[in-house]
Amino acid sequence: MTDSLRARLLGWYVGMVMLVIASVAIAVCWGTWRARLTAVDAELRSRAASVSTAVLPRDGGRFDVELTSDATAYFQASTSRPYYAVWAADGSLVDRSDPDLTGLVAPPEGARTLGNRREVITRAGPLTVLTGRDISDIWQELWSLALTMLVVALAGVALATAGAWFLAGRALAPVQRINETARRMIQGDLTARIAVDRTETELGQVALALNVAFDRLRESIERQRQFTADASHQLRTPVATMLAEIDWALKRDRTAADYRESLDTCHRAATRMQSLVNGLLTLARADSGDLPLTRQDVRIDRIVAEAIDGLRPLAVKQDVSVDATTEPAVGRGDRDRLHDLVSNLLFNAITYNKPGGSVSVGVRREGESIELRVRDSGIGISAADLPYVFDRLYRADAARARDTSGAGLGLALAQWIVAAHGGTIACSSDGGTFTEFVVHLPHADHAAADAGTGRLIARFATPLTMPSASTASVTGGVQMGASSSTASTE
Amino acid sequence: MRILVAEDEPDLARTLGKALAEEGYAVDLARTGDEALAKATAVAYDTIVLDIMMPVQDGLSVLSGLRRSGGRTPVLILTARDTVEDKVQGLNVGADDYMTKPFALTELLARVRALIRRASPDPMTELAAGPFVVDTGARLVHRDGEVVDLTAREYAILELLARRKGSVVTRSAIYEHVYDEHEDTLSNVVDVFIAALRRKLGPDVIRTRRGHGYLIDD
Repeated sequence: MTDSLRARLLGWYVGMVMLVIASVAIAVCWGTWRARLTAVDAELRSRAASVSTAVLPRDGGRFDVELTSDATAYFQASTSRPYYAVWAADGSLVDRSDPDLTGLVAPPEGARTLGNRREVITRAGPLTVLTGRDISDIWQELWSLALTMLVVALAGVALATAGAWFLAGRALAPVQRINETARRMIQGDLTARIAVDRTETELGQVALALNVAFDRLRESIERQRQFTADASHQLRTPVATMLAEIDWALKRDRTAADYRESLDTCHRAATRMQSLVNGLLTLARADSGDLPLTRQDVRIDRIVAEAIDGLRPLAVKQDVSVDATTEPAVGRGDRDRLHDLVSNLLFNAITYNKPGGSVSVGVRREGESIELRVRDSGIGISAADLPYVFDRLYRADAARARDTSGAGLGLALAQWIVAAHGGTIACSSDGGTFTEFVVHLPHADHAAADAGTGRLIARFATPLTMPSASTASVTGGVQMGASSSTASTE
Repeated sequence: MRILVAEDEPDLARTLGKALAEEGYAVDLARTGDEALAKATAVAYDTIVLDIMMPVQDGLSVLSGLRRSGGRTPVLILTARDTVEDKVQGLNVGADDYMTKPFALTELLARVRALIRRASPDPMTELAAGPFVVDTGARLVHRDGEVVDLTAREYAILELLARRKGSVVTRSAIYEHVYDEHEDTLSNVVDVFIAALRRKLGPDVIRTRRGHGYLIDD
C-alpha cells in the first residue's frame, strides 16, 4: 500500500519535473532558432541590397551586373554557400550567382526556409532579388544544443527522482509505522501503539487519533475478556461444588440424612447457576439490543409496595425491618423490569444488612423526575469498592465473606434498567453503617416521547454518576414529603 | 494428619471437609485469606488446600506470606483459574500442586495423599511398623496379608508414628495432627487411642518415652 502510494507520488512529481524541463528546452531551442534566422535574414537582406545596387539597367531592356569586390567575395564563400538571383519586372531572369540555379521563377516577396537553405526575396524598383544561403550550420548548432539539454535534463530527472523517492519515503514513514502497528494489532498484540514523534503534522494527528482508538478497543476487549473469565469462574464454582458433593455421596452407602444434605447442597449450587445464567442471558440480550421494553404508565410507589411484600419473608428471616415513605408517582416504562429494579435494590439492602437493621425506601416526585431512594443500615461498601458496584460480577469482599447467594449481576442489571428508562442511578456509602441507592426516573409527563417504538436500547458504554461517600449526606425516607402509603415489616 | 481447607464457597468447603474427615484427616476450614494465613502459620498442617479467589486476601498472597514466614507445608491450589499463566504463577509462588475446578473428588484425595507422602521423611506408600505394614494408599494396616481393623483416628495416629519412625512424637503433636480446631478433647485421649492400638497390634510395636511421647522403632 505504502509503496504504491510512494510510487504514485513519485510518478506525479517526476512527470511534473520532466514537463518543466521539456518546456524550457523547447523554449530555448525555439528562441535560438529564431535568433539565428533573424541574423541570417538581416545578412541576406543587406546582401540583396548590395546586389540590387549592382544591377544597372541598359538600353533595350538589358542589365549590366557589376558586383563590388566585397559582394563577390561573399558569394564565393564556401562555408555558407550563399547565392543570389535577380529578376526583371517582366519576370525574366537578369542574373544569378550560380549557373546551376536553373528553372527559377520570381517567388513572392518574403523569407522562406527550404530544407537546409534560407532565402530572402526583396523588391528593389523593378527588380526582384533573391538571396539565399545554406543554414545547415544553424541546424547543427540546434541539434547539439538539444543534445546537451537532453543529457542535462536526464541527469536532472534522475536526481529529482532519487530525491523525490527519498523524500516521499520520509514523508510516508509514519504511514509505514501505522501500517506495521495495525498489522501487529491484527496478529493479536493489543498493546501495539504507533510511535509519534511529531504530533503537529497531519499524519501525527492521525496516529494520535488511531492510538486513542486502539486504547478504546483494547479496554473494551479487556472488559469483555475479564467478564468472560469472571463468568466462567462464577459458573465453575457451583459446578465444582455439585460434582464434589455428588462424588462424596456416591462413594459409599450413606444415611438418608446424608443424602438429603447432599441434595440440599446440590440444589443451592444449581440455584446459583440458574440465577447466574439468567442474569448473563438478560445482560447479553440487553447488550445486543434484543431485550424489548414495553412502555406504559407505571405507578412507581405501587411497585415499591409490591416489591416489599414479595421480600417480606426474607426480611423476617434476616431480622431486618423495612419501612417505606412514598407519594403517588407515575413513571413510564416496562412494569416488570422496573419491578426487577426495585426488588434488586431491596434484596441487596436486606441481604447485606445487620441483624436488627433497617431498610428505608422513599419515593417522591422531584420536579420532572421521580426519586427512588433505598437506604439500609447495613455493612456498607468501602470507598475502594464503590466505583465498581455496578460492574458485572463484582462483589465486594465484605459481601463475599458473608454467606450470600448473590451472583454479582443484580446491580449491573439495575443499572441497565435505569439507563434504558432514561434515568440515573447512584450509590453512596460510608463504608460501615449504611449504603444508599438513589434512582431518578423521568416522570410520565416528561418521559421521552419515543413511546411509539416500544423498544429501548441502553448500553453500558457510558459510566453513570457515582458520588463518593462523603457527598452522600441525605437521610432516610422520613423527611421525604407527604407519606401516602407505608409498608412495614418486622 | 491435619489439613486446612481455605475456600470461601461454604458448600464446597463443607463437602471437602467431610470428604477429607472421612479419610481420617482432621480438617480445619478458613473462609477468608486472612483467616487462612493466620491458621497456616499457627498450626503445623500436613497439607493446605487453597482457593485463590478469596475475600480480604487472595490465595496467592496467603501462599507467599506463608512461604516468606518459613512455612514448608505442602500446598495444593484448588481454583477455577485454569490458564497456563495462572498455573505457572501459582506453582512459582510456592504451591506444590495445582488443581482446577471442577475436579474429581477421588483425584483430589489422591493428590492430598501424595503431597503428604512426599513431605514425609519416608516417602513410601507402604510403611513398616514392627511386623505390621501401613498401606497409606489403601489406608489400612495388615500383617502377613491379615488386615487389622482400625478406626480412622487409630489409623491416623499409627501412620503418623510410622512416618516418623525412629523419632519420638509428642502427645501434643499427635493431638494436633488428629484433631481439628473444633474438637475440644482432653489430650489424654491420645493415650486412650495408643492403648487401643496396642490392644490390636500387640504391646511392643509402639513404645512409650515417658515424659516425651511415643515412637515406633526403626
